[in-house]
Amino acid sequence: MGTGRRATALTLIGIVALWEIAGDLDLVASGALPSPSEILVAFWRDKADYWPHILATVRTAAIGFVIGNAVAILAAILFVRVPASERLARGINIAIFALPPIAIVPVLVIALPGEGARLALAALAVYFPTMTAMTVGLREIDPRVVDVVRAYGGGDGAVMRWVRLRSSLPALLGGLRVAAPNAVLGAILAEFGSGSRYGLGAYLLGSLGRADPARLWGIGLAATAIAGLGYALAALAAKRVTDASRAVTIASGAMPPAKGRGQQRIAIAVASFLLPFVVWWLLLWLGGLSPIIAKTPLGVFEYLFLPPTGASARERLLAALVETLPITVLGMAAGLAVAFLLAVLGAVRPGIVRALLPIALVTQTMPLVALTPLLVLIFGRGIAVTVAITVSVTFFPAYVTLAQGLAMVPRAAFDLVGAYGARGWTAMRLVALPASLPWLFAAARLAVPRALLGVMIAEWLATGRGLGNLLNQSRGYLDYGMIWSVALVSVLVSVALYQAAVMLERVATRR
Amino acid sequence: MKLSLSRRAFLGTAAAGLAAGAMPGYFRNALAATPFNFQASWINDAEFTGYFVAIDEGLYTAGGLDLNYMSGGPDVIPESTLISGTADLTLTTPDTTVKAIVDQGAPFKIIGTQYQKNPIGIVSLAKAPINSPADLVGKTLAVPPVNVISVEAMLKLNNIDKSAVNIVPYAYDPTPLIKGEIDASLDFTTNVPFTIEQAGEKATSFLLYDFGFTIYNDTVVVTEETLKSKRAELVAWLKASRKGWETNLADPAVWPPKFADTWFKGTGRTIENEVFFNTAQKPLIESPNGIFSMDEEGIAKNIEALDQIGIKATREMFDTTLLEEI
Repeated sequence: MGTGRRATALTLIGIVALWEIAGDLDLVASGALPSPSEILVAFWRDKADYWPHILATVRTAAIGFVIGNAVAILAAILFVRVPASERLARGINIAIFALPPIAIVPVLVIALPGEGARLALAALAVYFPTMTAMTVGLREIDPRVVDVVRAYGGGDGAVMRWVRLRSSLPALLGGLRVAAPNAVLGAILAEFGSGSRYGLGAYLLGSLGRADPARLWGIGLAATAIAGLGYALAALAAKRVTDASRAVTIASGAMPPAKGRGQQRIAIAVASFLLPFVVWWLLLWLGGLSPIIAKTPLGVFEYLFLPPTGASARERLLAALVETLPITVLGMAAGLAVAFLLAVLGAVRPGIVRALLPIALVTQTMPLVALTPLLVLIFGRGIAVTVAITVSVTFFPAYVTLAQGLAMVPRAAFDLVGAYGARGWTAMRLVALPASLPWLFAAARLAVPRALLGVMIAEWLATGRGLGNLLNQSRGYLDYGMIWSVALVSVLVSVALYQAAVMLERVATRR
Repeated sequence: MKLSLSRRAFLGTAAAGLAAGAMPGYFRNALAATPFNFQASWINDAEFTGYFVAIDEGLYTAGGLDLNYMSGGPDVIPESTLISGTADLTLTTPDTTVKAIVDQGAPFKIIGTQYQKNPIGIVSLAKAPINSPADLVGKTLAVPPVNVISVEAMLKLNNIDKSAVNIVPYAYDPTPLIKGEIDASLDFTTNVPFTIEQAGEKATSFLLYDFGFTIYNDTVVVTEETLKSKRAELVAWLKASRKGWETNLADPAVWPPKFADTWFKGTGRTIENEVFFNTAQKPLIESPNGIFSMDEEGIAKNIEALDQIGIKATREMFDTTLLEEI
């Protein structure tokens, strides 16, 4: 433990020192990277400005975090108690997960008055990670404990209460670790567009035009500090719980087989696909919004397939897709590779990864728009910058899931290979990697749809091509049909990628 | 007249019936508006000083208006807030507004304009100056995606092939320009040169307006329905706002410092920047016929310029009668 701490401290100090030197000597991107001391000086200079913004963001993120997690936990319990409900809600779950936030912010701002849009985005951002983690946690239980409860006459309710809820805690806390930074990100992103006067997003917006990278980094780091605090609290709780309750055996990690006859299963699959469209329609109907701005599924169909707009709209959409899709696949693979390497490194050399974690967290909470000048100066405006942004958007949730998987490997398994002399990398290869396979696929499912978001952000901020640019331009031209079409197509593409990951998982775990 | 309903019109009408008739709209009705809602087009900066003066001096209240000022931002589409009913009046760029009228059948009317000349222009560094559209050939120009058609129109008007200019997205941060990653950017010429000078460089700029793209900016837009039902309020708004702007522009250095702890608090910008902005925008706002006025020549120029980018504006989209009532 002592050497691990020292490695953490040394690595952190080394990174900060290198950063300070690079920043002071303007070594990176001809000085667009400010040094830590410059950032601190700017922070001190602006300190009076920060408080109202920080308070507003924390408030939004916290309320959204509570709402989103409450819904997620209740949904997970429902899904485990009534498996059909999970299959029915599958379409909605994936759609919520895959919705690119940049596409829905303007719509949310129009549909929900005042604070509503900001809270909704923060809540949406936390729902999926918590719901997935909780569902896995409720399922991955020690069957012998269930046998005990059953032996004493306990029904499904008792199993839920005495076994599932308790043993889900480590997984839930793992989910909350992802959810906490997400809430902050969601809040900031929504502040960006909702016209609120206070909030770090609003502050960032006013500061963008000042060509003051130190200020932008200060705002980004303030966001990171808030997110990091949430992450640390969840991680601390997770550590206490997992240390005390680590399972002795390795759980199988298999999904419960779908029950029911073929026809019934197909009916549920179709219903699950249609449900998001019904909800979409219903929300617009309840919102009472004008059909000019709020396109229903029928409105989008009309826009894409009927004259006068159809032909031109399809052509523009296809051209954008052809630009966006190949690079999405590339970015996806790169993001997963980085996450996997980091997780394995974390298991073998925990000291070094503990030092890298704060930096990883910065990449999650630093609004990318603040980093655009730096990124384009380093990576240019081509494929490199797109892959870099996509990796930064995808790797973190994948990493957390993988690290969780590796941490869940029972000590006894390590002790066994340890007795034969296997340490470090060898022990990893023999025990941890095979045991974490289900987690690798869970990580892929989390990361895959985000790849499209990453590519779209890069297109919007840096390259000016593809779906991201089409979306942004359509917003400017008030081409509402195209805004909704791009949102729909990007969700469909993300869902397709997600399904591909699920299929791969089935094939791989069947072996 | 033959009675035929195209499928598109039919579906549209059916959807409108669904949305507006059958279900009155729970979210919207919850905030039935008694105040007069004004949606600005950007975050609080000098672009809106005249309105802040009018609010703080009680000019709207004196005119019988309970004004609710709403700041904007990059994701706030001003026209959308009119359609959704969140705002009664907003400030827009005429190209998007006219396009929405033509393409979407949006029921908008332009009743005035804050800028007689659009402040948007090409900004570059004085050490590598771009003084005219011809200088852009072979250069990298950062443009907010929204404005790409305007830039392409300006290039076309000056006989420059658009493929000769490398257009990349602009995210409102001048750092890439200062560092030389791009050669020029499209921005408010009233604003960003200040930042560039603060960073130790000299800026040079030209207006798209001066090279043929002759449109207004921050056009005052309302829906036809508001025009009918709230005409008196609109006239009161124009009157109070004109007074606010006249008061502000009498000496552009006076008012921004007074808003340091109110309107401009915590925006992340400096008061010196706002004074620079306020001073630079004065000649673009003032008009011999009074602030907000739209004369026939100006309207004709807008129609002509918009025609260059394939947007068919008509004289009927501009309603000058309210200005006459001030």
